[in-house]
Amino acid sequence: MPLLEIKHLTHWFGGLRAVHDFNLKLEPGEIRGLIGPNGAGKTTVFNLVTGFYKPTEGRIIFMGKDITGKRPHEIARMGIGRTFQNLRLWTHLTALDNIKVAFYSQIRYGLVGAFFNTRARREEEERIDHEARNLMKMLGIDQYANWVVSGLPYGIQRKVEIARALATKPRLLLLDEPTAGMSPAEMRETMDFILFIREKFNLTIWLIEHKMKFVMGLCEWIQVLNFGETIAEGPPKEIQRHPEVIKAYLGEMVEL
Amino acid sequence: MEQLAQQLFNALQWGSYYALIALGYSMVYSILMLFNFAHGDVFMVATYIGYFVAVGLLGLASLSLLPLSNVAVFVLTLILTMFLASFVGIGVELVAYRPLRDAPRASAAITGLMVGIFMETAVLAALGASRKDFPLLIPPITFTIGPVHVTNLKLLTLAMAFGLMFLLHLFISRTKIGMAMRAMSFDYAVVPLMGIPMNTIIVFTFALGSALAGAAGILFGMAYPVLDPYMGVLIGWKAFVAAILGGRGSIFGAVVGGFLLGFIEILVAATLPSTMRDLIAYSIVLLILTFRPYGLFGEEYSARLRL
Amino acid sequence: MGTQTALSRVAIPWRRWVHPVAAWFRQHFGDTPLGSWLLGAAVATLLERLFGATIAYYLGLGSVPAIFGLSIVLKTPALIPSVLVFVLLMYLLPTLLVAKFTTPLFLRWEERLSTRVYVLLHVLFLFLILYFWSQVDPYRLLVLRLLGINILLTLSLNLVNGWMGEFSVSVAGFMSVGAYVSSVFMVWGFVNDDVFGPAFFPESLAPLAFPLSLVLAGAVTAVSALAVAIPSFRTRGDYLAIITLAYLFIVKSTFENLDFIGGPRGFMNQPEVASFTVVFVWVVLGIWVMHNFVTSTLGKATNAVRDNESAAEMMTVDTRRVKVVAFLTHAFWSGVAGGLYAHVIGYINPSSFDLRKSAEILGMLYLGGLNSVSGSILGPVLFMFLSEILRPFQLAKWLVIPVILIYAMVRRPRGLMGFQELRVPFLVRRRQAQEEARAHAVAGD
Repeated sequence: MPLLEIKHLTHWFGGLRAVHDFNLKLEPGEIRGLIGPNGAGKTTVFNLVTGFYKPTEGRIIFMGKDITGKRPHEIARMGIGRTFQNLRLWTHLTALDNIKVAFYSQIRYGLVGAFFNTRARREEEERIDHEARNLMKMLGIDQYANWVVSGLPYGIQRKVEIARALATKPRLLLLDEPTAGMSPAEMRETMDFILFIREKFNLTIWLIEHKMKFVMGLCEWIQVLNFGETIAEGPPKEIQRHPEVIKAYLGEMVEL
Repeated sequence: MEQLAQQLFNALQWGSYYALIALGYSMVYSILMLFNFAHGDVFMVATYIGYFVAVGLLGLASLSLLPLSNVAVFVLTLILTMFLASFVGIGVELVAYRPLRDAPRASAAITGLMVGIFMETAVLAALGASRKDFPLLIPPITFTIGPVHVTNLKLLTLAMAFGLMFLLHLFISRTKIGMAMRAMSFDYAVVPLMGIPMNTIIVFTFALGSALAGAAGILFGMAYPVLDPYMGVLIGWKAFVAAILGGRGSIFGAVVGGFLLGFIEILVAATLPSTMRDLIAYSIVLLILTFRPYGLFGEEYSARLRL
Repeated sequence: MGTQTALSRVAIPWRRWVHPVAAWFRQHFGDTPLGSWLLGAAVATLLERLFGATIAYYLGLGSVPAIFGLSIVLKTPALIPSVLVFVLLMYLLPTLLVAKFTTPLFLRWEERLSTRVYVLLHVLFLFLILYFWSQVDPYRLLVLRLLGINILLTLSLNLVNGWMGEFSVSVAGFMSVGAYVSSVFMVWGFVNDDVFGPAFFPESLAPLAFPLSLVLAGAVTAVSALAVAIPSFRTRGDYLAIITLAYLFIVKSTFENLDFIGGPRGFMNQPEVASFTVVFVWVVLGIWVMHNFVTSTLGKATNAVRDNESAAEMMTVDTRRVKVVAFLTHAFWSGVAGGLYAHVIGYINPSSFDLRKSAEILGMLYLGGLNSVSGSILGPVLFMFLSEILRPFQLAKWLVIPVILIYAMVRRPRGLMGFQELRVPFLVRRRQAQEEARAHAVAGD
């Protein structure tokens, strides 16, 4: 059974068709790439899968369950984690608190615990604290635990965001341009980092990326969007030579 | 039916007050992204200014120092009051908002509220609790059109309101500062590029809004001649609600919202006990905002618009 | 710039006096813990309670100066020396002496007592200070109880305006719902009244039923707050502010139209059940509960909704639940505060809960600082302090307070304690130790 299956996904913004007849079958453990020129509808696909938009047509099936039309936090609870194109950390919280809040659905005390500081709450807080710190240590950012995130360097903030997504215990991780604003050296490092977390957390990864070198080096299968349509699909080698892709990317090919 | 037609004019009259004041809220909002919570009190102070100007001019006229007819007194009062009221608005800007330009918007809201309280208290302290009666500048004439009675005051209010709105429209669309104001409401950052200092535009916006509130004050004072220091709280906040109802920052919306609120209130007052007016009017506002969370002509929520 | 240089010029003669005093103070009281100070102050207020009137009489002050003599000083400057002597004798001397002599004792306790016992001890001392102080004159008693109520209002409002980053102005509306509900319950049940007839229960049960009435008041207020919480799912910022404003007007207008509870004339005969002790217990309970909430991970999700709502949703946070909880907690405690208020004053009417009341609470909140429990205590304390020493000036008070608040906002736009907490050295030390242990546990894995 595929982990994620998308059938005939179509979405209209008013009179504008942002995504048309998008199909996908994602097997567990895969690293899949979604590429395309600016405004091709890539982030819209992510927003549809994670429940921010309700699709006009089509079905989204995750682990055998239809998740079309569910609210984002419900979908997130079922095991789809996500990072954002431009960081969306909670800027007034510390790095540790950013990660702890992502444990929200796993918190095993209710409002009574929150209001009256019960023993159950204290134990649970200890557990979350421990897990969050563990996660930070695994990603090598534990020394920043008590920093307010807005004061951290950009690269660290990216890692905090990934750690936060991992804290939701995802089976599938969606990465929206994980290398935005990075130098080539940092990009290579990020590549290793993504392979590392896939191994460590037993993840399936689906990512949007602009930098072709990055996608080609990392993904086993790539899908290309242009004006909301899937124009090509296949292994990196094929995609590179695909005439439609070259046409769509003509303006941008220079910087590949 | 006759009743309805009669109430229509009342609604238009109150709508004019609300719309004129709501414009001040919306204009400031469109460029600074904050509501001038002291605007209701600017209206109140402006009405008092209008009172003193009118009384002063009438005094001069009666001493035959100035050969002025009542109509001339009215016109002069209006112009002088609008001019002086604009300085009240500028004062509010300088004290409450300019020092907090880079601060969180909620902090500016607090300073605005405080300036408002200051003005209420200052008027109360300076004039005592006794209520002032606005002088009768234009003798009332009642026209009878079929079964409907309309006073000249109501017609004047309506005409003035629409006239001023038209002038505002001309100002915004024709003058350089007006265009800069529009540009600024579109994008805060672009204005310095146009060669007009940002603060000049902001000062102009406050001045214009306050001048309109001053005009509303005179018209209101002539129709309801009892002034008191808390009238700004009563009417100003309703105008604020009207501005929101129309859509925050939308000038057209402010006018529509003002008249809409006028209609809602008058219709409620005409059909239900008068004590229910606020209750029903605000319940309707709550309902409208629940189903159209961004007002009638407002843009959707965006991150930039957070308090 | 201009004010700064002027200030430093003024400050020069100050330094000559302040520095030696500060040095002396640091030498003798550098390690005195907070507990000693509180105990010292408790002893001082007890002494004032016993001998204050006599001493005030011999100093020619007539009666015990209500608030440290500050309003006396402003009104009749000739009495400054007497007031100074009184403050020195009554407050400073006993406090300093007791603090000095109990320092070793408290330092030992700091080592041995558990955090909870130690904190409770501080609360007890605080209670004693305020209790003795309030027993001297009914005016102090009233002011302190109102202060407690304002703290509850400010802190609960902070949940929505600070932790959740909305701008709610309905606090006076919530307060009035609570005030009316608890008043009606108490007057119907425990008072022989012309409106509701004879008491339903024996009057002697009133003090026992009062907490119940407050919980009921809070619960009803919380339910009514759904009118604000549900629209908050779809809109926020300015529009939500208007919805809260509309709520305020609707509630006020509703009470004006309800004739059986007095309409615009108001409602009275509330039994005298809100003693200082009762108010103190409720305020401490409220602070404790809300502090617990905002320090829990569940509560910090409120911050996540403020900082980035869509990210919060994506990180499994049910943002609707968070919003409902924040608004309902705010409403609950404002309702409780309203119930307390009704019974402290003994009379309520719809116009005591108008926009001005909300503006006052907002002023306290933004003065103290957003997102801060200690700020929500400091704000009302400073605000009330100012407002009470300016009370003799009547109207002019409302000229001075806005000016001071505007000045404070200009100097500190985020409020005095915005996004910070007061750091009690003892608690800071304990927390650091805990923090290190946790970090160590992970590093050792």
